[in-house]
Amino acid sequence: MTRSKSWIAAGSFAVCLLIPLVVRTDYNLQVLFRVFLFAALGLAWNLVGGYAGQLSLGHAAYFGAGAYAMALLPHFGVSLWLAPVLGIILAVAFAALIGGVSFRLRGPYFALATIAFAEVLRLLAKNLPSVTGGDVGIQVPSLFAHAINRSFYLAAVVLTAIAFGVTVWVSRSKFGYYLMAIREDEDTALSVGINTARTKLEALFLSAGITAMGGALYGSLFLFIVPDQVLSLDISNEIAIVAMLGGAGTALGPILGSIVLESASETFKNVFHEAHLLIYGLLLVVVVIFLPEGIVGTVNTWLARRRSALAAAPKQRAQRNSAS
Amino acid sequence: MALLELRRTSKKFGGLVAVNGVSLAIERGEVAFLVGPNGAGKTTLFNLIAGMLHPDQGEIFFEGRDISRARADRATKLGIGRTFQLVKPLRNLTVLENVMLGAFLHTSSTSAAAREAGRILEFLQMEDVAHLPALGMPQAKLKRLEIARALATRPRLILLDEVVAGLSTSEALALADLLARLREWGISAIGGVEHVMQVVMRIADRVLVLDHGTLIAEGTPEEVVQMPSVIEAYLGPKYKEFTQ
Amino acid sequence: MDAFFSALQAILNGLLTGALYALVGMGMALIFGVMRIVNFAHGTFLMLGMYATYFIFEKTGLNPYFGFVFASAFLFCLGYLIYRGLIQHMPVHSDFMQILLTLGLALIFTDAIQLTFGADYHQLNLPLLAKNVHLGQHISLNAPWLVSFGLAVVLGSGMYWFVMHTRIGRAARAIAQNRYASPLMGINVHRVQAVSFGLGVAGAGIAGGLLLPVFYIYPTVGDQFTLKAFVMVVLGGMGSIQGAAVAGLVLGVVESLTSLYWGNEWALAVDFAIFLLVLSLRPAGIFGSQRV
Repeated sequence: MTRSKSWIAAGSFAVCLLIPLVVRTDYNLQVLFRVFLFAALGLAWNLVGGYAGQLSLGHAAYFGAGAYAMALLPHFGVSLWLAPVLGIILAVAFAALIGGVSFRLRGPYFALATIAFAEVLRLLAKNLPSVTGGDVGIQVPSLFAHAINRSFYLAAVVLTAIAFGVTVWVSRSKFGYYLMAIREDEDTALSVGINTARTKLEALFLSAGITAMGGALYGSLFLFIVPDQVLSLDISNEIAIVAMLGGAGTALGPILGSIVLESASETFKNVFHEAHLLIYGLLLVVVVIFLPEGIVGTVNTWLARRRSALAAAPKQRAQRNSAS
Repeated sequence: MALLELRRTSKKFGGLVAVNGVSLAIERGEVAFLVGPNGAGKTTLFNLIAGMLHPDQGEIFFEGRDISRARADRATKLGIGRTFQLVKPLRNLTVLENVMLGAFLHTSSTSAAAREAGRILEFLQMEDVAHLPALGMPQAKLKRLEIARALATRPRLILLDEVVAGLSTSEALALADLLARLREWGISAIGGVEHVMQVVMRIADRVLVLDHGTLIAEGTPEEVVQMPSVIEAYLGPKYKEFTQ
Repeated sequence: MDAFFSALQAILNGLLTGALYALVGMGMALIFGVMRIVNFAHGTFLMLGMYATYFIFEKTGLNPYFGFVFASAFLFCLGYLIYRGLIQHMPVHSDFMQILLTLGLALIFTDAIQLTFGADYHQLNLPLLAKNVHLGQHISLNAPWLVSFGLAVVLGSGMYWFVMHTRIGRAARAIAQNRYASPLMGINVHRVQAVSFGLGVAGAGIAGGLLLPVFYIYPTVGDQFTLKAFVMVVLGGMGSIQGAAVAGLVLGVVESLTSLYWGNEWALAVDFAIFLLVLSLRPAGIFGSQRV
């Protein structure tokens, strides 16, 4: 990343950390928490869905892993801050299983398999109350004792900063190039010596880990989780939509997507109460028909086209001059 | 020890025998061409050597190692590079980035890969388009991009499937001259070609003729072009008498 | 002896349910086979069929076993228009985008119905509902399910006949086999695909109408059917209508037996287990021959 861009990014995150000085109400801090949480989740999904081009619609599996680890492990004497770490490990284990089976499938089969795995986990959580509290749900201890909403907000900002940093590093590295090759054409990727199966799994591990941390934070803030909330298709969809709307395969995309989606969602919740699914649906259709590259992606393409048009113009002028 | 050796290699797709008991050997420093009408099995043979397919019968050896069951990425790591008949550029990346993918096989540094890719593009006279997206490049440039990307993996054997197809005669001959220089780099090559015989005559050390999956002739270009079996395969039995 | 009859009862009930599942699966298989679209809104269209039939019943008193015809005609038109208006105009035709589009449609329709009709559960009351047909002493089959079964078999066969023997059906199969050559044969690809999409959607709508007498109706009732349709299509072989039909029957029976021995709540989990097993071991499905 260029020097100036690094400073801008660091500065922006510093500003975000200072926001609680201005925004005080619990409600607003929770909204901002959601914005940053989904920005982080979107960035995590983006590694697999955007850069590697693998449409996972089952990321709730990893989110739920983090949330349930946070809920269950402290009962066994695990310290509060170790629980999310173990949640990450659990999510990575799920990723190994899910990826191992699903990555062998191409196209829509892959997406369906990811949905199936997440749904199996949700149903297991619902039907095994002795382990997970079942449908009724389970309590989650809070990571923070004081200034709860502000602390969770700051944690979400930090998670987003980490996810952003990981994304930027990946996009410039050999690993990132390999992911993009896999996205464009797996046969070509194989032919240049890329171990596509292993590379996809590595991306999924990274993605699952960050997602699990998000799940742990979410559960810990709201103090109570149910399977239909943290292991649901809705969560998987929301994560994917955030990244796709903002621009899959870009670093800024998921952040922008989360800001747009979550603010639209909040606005409509207050005005239209129950219409948030309708908003998601409309946004998806809009993205597919008008903005297939997402907001940031479309802007990038437009800028690139302007650049090559400007680069061609002087040459054309020179040719015209020499011809006349 | 031959660089590449196939022993009685066969591959079937359902009822269709695509490759039928082919045995051949390529030596170091050789440029060989597989020649044959459409459907003769050239691409299947390339896919077998490159690891995208595995033979039903027979073995494939590269530098003495049995690679019959090796997957495509392993074959590349062992030193076999390839281009595809239908070019597969990675459209959303630039020409340079496409080639860098090949270079990453031997380095983890983005800058080193970029330098190596730049060098190879210079050799192929493509520096001027290095930073343009691969999407929308003309066919002649895309063919060179395919070769550049394969060369970046530092192969000791490169498979060039129909590498001059779709090019005008002058483009094809220009590319052929470049390919002739591969020997300088210590790279052996197997080309696959249907009908652009000028290229074959110009740079091939040896020609192998495939017909319906079977190897029917082998020799220098001059020898092969006169063999009755080859003429019959290409033009039909009626023309066989012209050689006698 | 009782155990035998319990199992037999469960199997028969499973077949009755399975026929309706088959109708849903066949529609999905048609859409996937011809257009390679994974229709995430399939269950939503079933739900729309239910609500349309319900609406007709409430407003005109027309029995759902006749009302479903109008509901499915409406859904055919809806499907046709969605193809022509949206799917045809997608700038990027990747699997990704198609999935997202149908997903978006599912969310829009589900929420729209919820906003219009409310999230409450409703149920129909028909005199037919209470009637049972008895086979011997031990087996009793619910009359509405029998009627649905009969209609589903007739309509499913009709769909199969349509795909095999009409010109449009043959054109659809041609597109499924080779999309690029089809226009060269004089096939208007977009029109045939629009019809296929409409037909597939109508299939789901018919199933919804036939389910109305025996199911609770609520906005999200369709989601489980989308997932079941996926299982059927994968089990039967992507794009194979006959395969999906058989898979539907199998699914019905398996669910029924699961409910009998393990309880209702595990039925969906078993569906997914089958799904994942098939994907892992034989991705081409029972009847399928496509490379995955």
